[in-house]
Amino acid sequence: MTAVIFNEVSKFYGEVLGVNRVTLNVPPGITSLVGPNGSGKTTLMNLMTGLIHPDHGTISMRGISPRDPEALMRITGYATQYDTAPRWATGFTFITTGLLLFGYGRAEAEEKAWKALERLSLTDAANRKVAAYSKGMRQRVRLAQAIAHDPEILVLDEPLNGLDPLVRAETIALFRTWAGEGKHVIISSHVLQEVDLISDQVVLIANGMIVAEGTIRTVREEIQEHPSQYLIRCRDASDVASRLFSEDHVSEIRLNDDRMGLLVMTRDREQFARALGRIALDGHRIDGVVPADENVDALYEYLIGGE
Amino acid sequence: MPDRHADVDAQKGTTPSFGGRARQAWTIAKVELRRIFFTKRGIGVYVLAVLPALAFLGHGIDAKLQIDRLTRRGLVDAARMNSIQQGDTLEDVKARVGKPAEERWSVRTRRVRQRSANGGTTTHVIEPAVDARFVRLNITRPTYSGDAIARIYEFEVYEPDGSRNLALGRPAKGSVPCSPDQGPEKAVNGSVSGGKTDDWCSDDWPLFLQVDLGATHPVKRFVVKHASAGGESDDFDTREFNIQVSMDGKTFTTVTASAGVGYVDERTEYRMLIYSDGRRVAQLHFVDARLDSMSIEPLLNFEDDRMIFAGIFQYFYLRLAIFFGCLGMFMYLFSGEMSNRTLHYWFLAPARREVLLAGKYAAGLIASAVIFSGGALLAFAAMIWPHDPVEVQAYWNAGGMTQAFWYAMAAALGCVGYGSVFLAVGLYIRNPIVPAAVLLAWEGASGILPHALQKISILYYLQSLCPVPAPMGRDAPMLIRLLAAPAAPASRPGAMLGLLLLTALVLWIASRAVRRMEISYGAET
Repeated sequence: MTAVIFNEVSKFYGEVLGVNRVTLNVPPGITSLVGPNGSGKTTLMNLMTGLIHPDHGTISMRGISPRDPEALMRITGYATQYDTAPRWATGFTFITTGLLLFGYGRAEAEEKAWKALERLSLTDAANRKVAAYSKGMRQRVRLAQAIAHDPEILVLDEPLNGLDPLVRAETIALFRTWAGEGKHVIISSHVLQEVDLISDQVVLIANGMIVAEGTIRTVREEIQEHPSQYLIRCRDASDVASRLFSEDHVSEIRLNDDRMGLLVMTRDREQFARALGRIALDGHRIDGVVPADENVDALYEYLIGGE
Repeated sequence: MPDRHADVDAQKGTTPSFGGRARQAWTIAKVELRRIFFTKRGIGVYVLAVLPALAFLGHGIDAKLQIDRLTRRGLVDAARMNSIQQGDTLEDVKARVGKPAEERWSVRTRRVRQRSANGGTTTHVIEPAVDARFVRLNITRPTYSGDAIARIYEFEVYEPDGSRNLALGRPAKGSVPCSPDQGPEKAVNGSVSGGKTDDWCSDDWPLFLQVDLGATHPVKRFVVKHASAGGESDDFDTREFNIQVSMDGKTFTTVTASAGVGYVDERTEYRMLIYSDGRRVAQLHFVDARLDSMSIEPLLNFEDDRMIFAGIFQYFYLRLAIFFGCLGMFMYLFSGEMSNRTLHYWFLAPARREVLLAGKYAAGLIASAVIFSGGALLAFAAMIWPHDPVEVQAYWNAGGMTQAFWYAMAAALGCVGYGSVFLAVGLYIRNPIVPAAVLLAWEGASGILPHALQKISILYYLQSLCPVPAPMGRDAPMLIRLLAAPAAPASRPGAMLGLLLLTALVLWIASRAVRRMEISYGAET
C-alpha cells in the first residue's frame, strides 16, 4: 500500500466538469502533473488531500482515504497555490502553529519549524509577517510548511513558480533527495520542460482527463506517435493531395467535396511541415493550415513546442 | 529501507487518543481566540455587550448628580415632609417645612367673558335727558358666539321720572325679520316670556330697530332685553350696539353706545415646590397658592432598577445583543476564513474536521461568554452602584449574589446556544442577513409557538434561567404581550439540560456539514 491510487475519480463543479474518470497509480518518486492552466491539476491535488471530495470513484493515499485527514495529513504535506496566509502569522509562528497540531511539544515544533525554514533559506525572514513577504518567499514558506513534519507524500502545486534560479536548483535537489528516500513527490507544472528532466513519471492532463501517463520517454513517444490531422485550404487540392500522398509519414488524405481543401493525417508533424513548405515553394498556393485534431495537438504545441 | 518505513508509519500512524484530540482542539482554539478578540467586527460585539452597563451608569450618575444638587440646596426633615397634605396653602407649607430646594412658578392668563348677573338685560342712562320723537337701536355685532342674527326681546325707553315705558306698544320698524312672527313689534310688546318668537329677530344688514314714540318726549333711560332674557343662550346676547334719537326720523344723534358685556383676564398661578429629605424627593403642585397635587418618590428606587435590569436583560441583552453578537462571532468562523482564503490550512492539519469544529466553537464560546457574561455583570454592578449601601447589603444577603450569578450564567448559556446555531448556519449559508432575520423571527415568536416547537428555540431555555421574570406592563397591547411573553418556564436544571441537548444536536448537524465541506475559493485552476 505505498502508492497513490485514483480509481475512476470524477469531480464536478456544479454542471462544470472538474476531472473526469481519472484512474491513476502513482508509485513513490517524483511525479509531475503537467497540463495547461485549467486542465484540472489543482483539482486532482485538492482531491488527494481531501480539500474537495470526489463525486464518483475512490482515492487511496498509501492506503488512507483523503476523508480521514487525521491520519492522512500526518504523512502528507500539501503546498497549495493559494497565495494567502493568516494575517497574524510570521513565517516562524505560521509553521510552528501547524506543527503543534501534530502533537509535538512547543520546543520540538519550534525546532522542526526552524529546520524547515532553513531548508528553504527563509531564516532571515522567519520573524516577519508572511503577509509582508514577496511572492517567491510566500511560495517558499508554503513549501516549508508542507515539509516541516517530514511527510511521506508531498503534494506541491506549481512549486517552482516564482523561485529564483538558485533556490529552484536547491529545491529540485530536495525533491530528488526525498524521492530517493521513497517518498511521493507529486508536483504540478504547466511547462513540461520545467519538470521532464527531474520527473520519474509524468502525467499529462488536459480538460480534466489524463492524456498520457508514464516515464517522460513514453509520454513523449505517445504524443509523437499519436497521428495528427490537419485541414489544408488550397486551390489545386488534388495536386497537393497527390504530392503529399508520396510522403511516408502521411497515412490518410481525404479531399473535400468542393475540391478546395483536404484533410491530412500524419504521424510526424515536423516532416509534414517540411513537406508542406516544399509544396508551397513549388508554386502551389496554400491558403491555410489548421490543426483539425485540437486536443492532443494543442497540448503538444503548448507543452513542448509552445511559446 | 522497508524496516525504516515501518518505523515511521508506526510512529506517525497511531490514532490519537481523546486527550490528543482535545489538545489539538485547544491549539486551534488558542489561534482562533486571538483572531476573534481583535477583529474589527469585534468592536460591534463589544459595543453591544457594554451598552446596558453604559445605560445604567448614566442613570446612576444622573441620580447622584440630582441628589447632590438637592443636598446643596438644603434638605428638610423627613417627618415634616410627610406632614404635607392636600389643600395646604403655599404659606402654610413654606412656614412649616421650610425653604424648598427648588421653586418654580408660572401664571397662566385666559381671557374669559364676564358673565352678566343681570339676566340678559342692559340699562343705559343718559345724562342729561334729551328730547326725542324717534329712538333707534343699531346693532353692530349681534352676538358673542359669532352668529350673525340679532335677537332683541324688548326695547324700553323711559322719561326722566322713569315711570312710563314710552316705547311700549308703539309702532316699530327694523331690518327684515327672520320670520313673519318675529317682527319689530315683538320688541315693544312688553313681554319677554313668550318663548323664542317673543323677540325681534333679524339677520338683514344693517341691523336696526326703530320706535316711533308718537310725540316728542324727554328721554333719560333705555333698557334692552337680549337673548338670554328670553331664555336663550347668553352667547346670543347682543355684543355691540348703540342707541340714537331723532326728532324727525331723518337725523339721528347717538346718545349711548355699548360694548355689551365685556371680557376679563382670568389669572391662575401654578407653583411647584421641590423638597428633599436626602432619600426622597417631593414635588408639590400648587394652583393659586393651594396644594393641588403632590408626589413623593424615592430618589433611587432599588426595586424599580432591578426590574428595569430584568427587562433590559431579557428584551435587549438576550434577544438582541447576544443574538447579534454571536452572529458576528460565530457565523464567520468558517465563512470568514473561506473568504480570506485561509481555511485550507486548517483542513490540511492532521486533525479530524470535528476537532477543528470543536476548536473553533470553543474559541467563539470563550470569547463571547467572557464578553457577554462580563457585560452582564458590568451592567449589574452599574445598576447597583448608586444605591444605598445598606439596601444593597440587604439585597446581597437575600440572594443578590445568586441573581448576579444567574444573569452571567444565562448570558454565557445564551452564547452556548446561539453560538452553536450561528456556527452551523455559517457552514451552510454565507450571507448572514436572511438566516439572521429568520432566526430572529423564530426566536421572537417562541412565546406563541406550540409547546413542542418552543423547545427548539434558544430563548425558551434562557428565559427560564433568568432570576427575575421580565416585567410586562398590564396595559401592553395583546400582540406585544404574546410576542414578548416568556414561554412556560421549565425548571432550571431542566432548562440547562434542554439547552445543552439542543446545542449538541446543532453541533452534530454542524459536524456533518463540516465533514462534507470543500474548499472553494472561487477561481479554481
